[in-house]
Amino acid sequence: MADKLLKREDLGKLIGSVVGGGGVFVAPTIDARQVVFKPVTKAEEIVTDYIVARNSYKEYVFPQTEVVADYTIGKDGVDLRSRKVEPKETVIFGARPCEASSLSALRAVFTWDFIDEFYTKREDKTTVISVGCTKADEACFCTTVALSPETKTGSDIYLLETESGDYLAEAVTDKGRAFIKKHASVFGAAGGEKAKKLFIPEKIKGIDPGKVAEKLSDKGHYEDPVWAELTRKCIGCGACTFVCPTCHCFDITDEGTAFEGERRKNWDACQFDTFTLHASGHNPRDLQYKRWRNRFNCKFSFYPNKFSSKGCVGCGRCIRVCPVRLDITEVMEELSK
Amino acid sequence: MENTLRQKAKELLASGEVKVVIGWGWNRTRTRTTPVFITKSEETDRLVWNPLCVNNLSVYLTRKFKDVQALGKPAIVARGCDIKNIVVLISEGQVKRENVYIIGMVCNGVVYRQELWEGELKPEIMPTKCHNCDVRNPHLTDSVIGGKSSFVPPEAPAGMVFDKIKAIDARDASGKWSFWINEFSRCVKCYACRQVCSLCYCERCITEKNMPQWIETSAHPRGNLSWNLTRAMHLVGRCTFCGECERACPVNIPLNLVNQKMILVVKDAFDYRSGYDEKVHPPMIVFNPEDKENFIK
Ligand code: SF4
Ligand code: SF4
Ligand code: SF4
Ligand code: SF4
Ligand code: SF4
Repeated sequence: MADKLLKREDLGKLIGSVVGGGGVFVAPTIDARQVVFKPVTKAEEIVTDYIVARNSYKEYVFPQTEVVADYTIGKDGVDLRSRKVEPKETVIFGARPCEASSLSALRAVFTWDFIDEFYTKREDKTTVISVGCTKADEACFCTTVALSPETKTGSDIYLLETESGDYLAEAVTDKGRAFIKKHASVFGAAGGEKAKKLFIPEKIKGIDPGKVAEKLSDKGHYEDPVWAELTRKCIGCGACTFVCPTCHCFDITDEGTAFEGERRKNWDACQFDTFTLHASGHNPRDLQYKRWRNRFNCKFSFYPNKFSSKGCVGCGRCIRVCPVRLDITEVMEELSK
Repeated sequence: MENTLRQKAKELLASGEVKVVIGWGWNRTRTRTTPVFITKSEETDRLVWNPLCVNNLSVYLTRKFKDVQALGKPAIVARGCDIKNIVVLISEGQVKRENVYIIGMVCNGVVYRQELWEGELKPEIMPTKCHNCDVRNPHLTDSVIGGKSSFVPPEAPAGMVFDKIKAIDARDASGKWSFWINEFSRCVKCYACRQVCSLCYCERCITEKNMPQWIETSAHPRGNLSWNLTRAMHLVGRCTFCGECERACPVNIPLNLVNQKMILVVKDAFDYRSGYDEKVHPPMIVFNPEDKENFIK
């Protein structure tokens, strides 16, 4: 129940109290002519008229690059010292309901066989406040993957914009409830304010997620010429995976002088041709369509089967950003046949 | 023009002269164009030609695309500016002239980015390259589609990119430095700029050489600076200002400023412009006793 009201004019106060308490307030703002999630300190920086930010907010729980250890190479061997992660309280404001589902997908991977504290500790300190969408573009396809602007799962607090530009708030999780309690002075009682109408995108005709899953469960699909036909144009960049809220692959690299340096965890992309290159020179995914096929399987087979989580939330970021307009929904459509 | 193009493609495939036609086609909703590979003569109606045809398809002629090469001899649908890249590929021994059929399109310009399209090609949505284009009549072709263009580019190159270069040139060293550090700070190391560029055809880019690691792969300011500078240096005297790298960059880094600045410097130092003559080698790979040495101080 949306029983609280966050007034637009109180947003600055909320930011102030989060930032004042040593936290980070991340929200959609304009940077280099794009709407992006970035830390803000003033309410005026926040954009409200947007569809989805270009980047996903995953970089605040899973940074693009971070030091995980320091090393020194001495006469007696290597001294490797793990870094401790002590994250700040982080608020993600203005997430979209589709992408709110992504953190549970990331968590599933980062806690699967090993608890990656660099991720879990950050996520534990992160509160996701999403805002229901009042518009969409043609890349949005949340409803095709069984999500929608009305989806609350994944958000800690779910907001609806009111006609007058304020927000009706509903705490979805304990974390959300605690957040509202902590900031009680800005979350007043709601009293009959009218929410703007949500825009629910139409499901894409011709896509049957069940059929897609069924096709993928049969290993024979690997040899289907459709993969090469539809994805030959892929140039193998990292754009789609880097903007994707659920892509999580990383690479460990050492940086420094010959005798000391930092061990870093950097984003990696299964679309790079070196991603599966073996030291022997053999590459099991030697052509781009095989790399693309992997990404698609990761989204629609590996994630759902292994983690029962969503691999793709239908945010459409990969479609918008792709230099060759390779549209994941066109592949879904083909596999629904 | 679209019909003539489809007809030409059909002939080429039907006669077996080429095995694949690389061109542009529609996406599902017919709102954006996307590269298509046509291998059957009955499918040439998928080809389209309009101001949304932004991709420089010459990248698919490079050795990065082994599966495209495996299809057999290609015909490529190309605008003059795309042909410039093909010219460089030929002069650098990457493509043999006789191994590619070039369908040259007479061109009146394209949109800078497809999302800017609102049904009409207005000057303000065209990239700087189109405003100064001297290859609207394609210059190296096997056949030409479209009537002759009478467009004459302005005497002095004009447009947003040139204005911005002037503004940056006017800054002092620290001003230039802070401008670029700030721009490069957004780089996410997605390498879309490299992957989309037909002149970045190395199968092992220097960023992927990690014994030792020449360029730090981390997307921190130092790693981003070394990546962007190294890439720029590898394109000096070769880049044709096709603009693909900037178009592909997901974080809007103004790479066209780098590209055009390099072109101006090379023009000034070597009186050379890449992409016009496939028989001339780029200045950075030839030694000429006449080369200026005034940079040695
Ligand atoms: S695969 Fe594309 S649409 Fe799906 S979650 Fe990732 S970026 Fe969004
Ligand atoms: S699908 Fe598009 S964005 Fe993704 S790797 Fe291929 S070309 Fe790059
Ligand atoms: S630069 Fe010339 S050939 Fe290229 S798209 Fe613009 S007008 Fe056409
Ligand atoms: S403009 Fe960019 S993509 Fe085009 S040739 Fe130059 S460096 Fe390559
Ligand atoms: S395309 Fe842009 S963000 Fe990606 S590596 Fe190149 S400069 Fe960096």
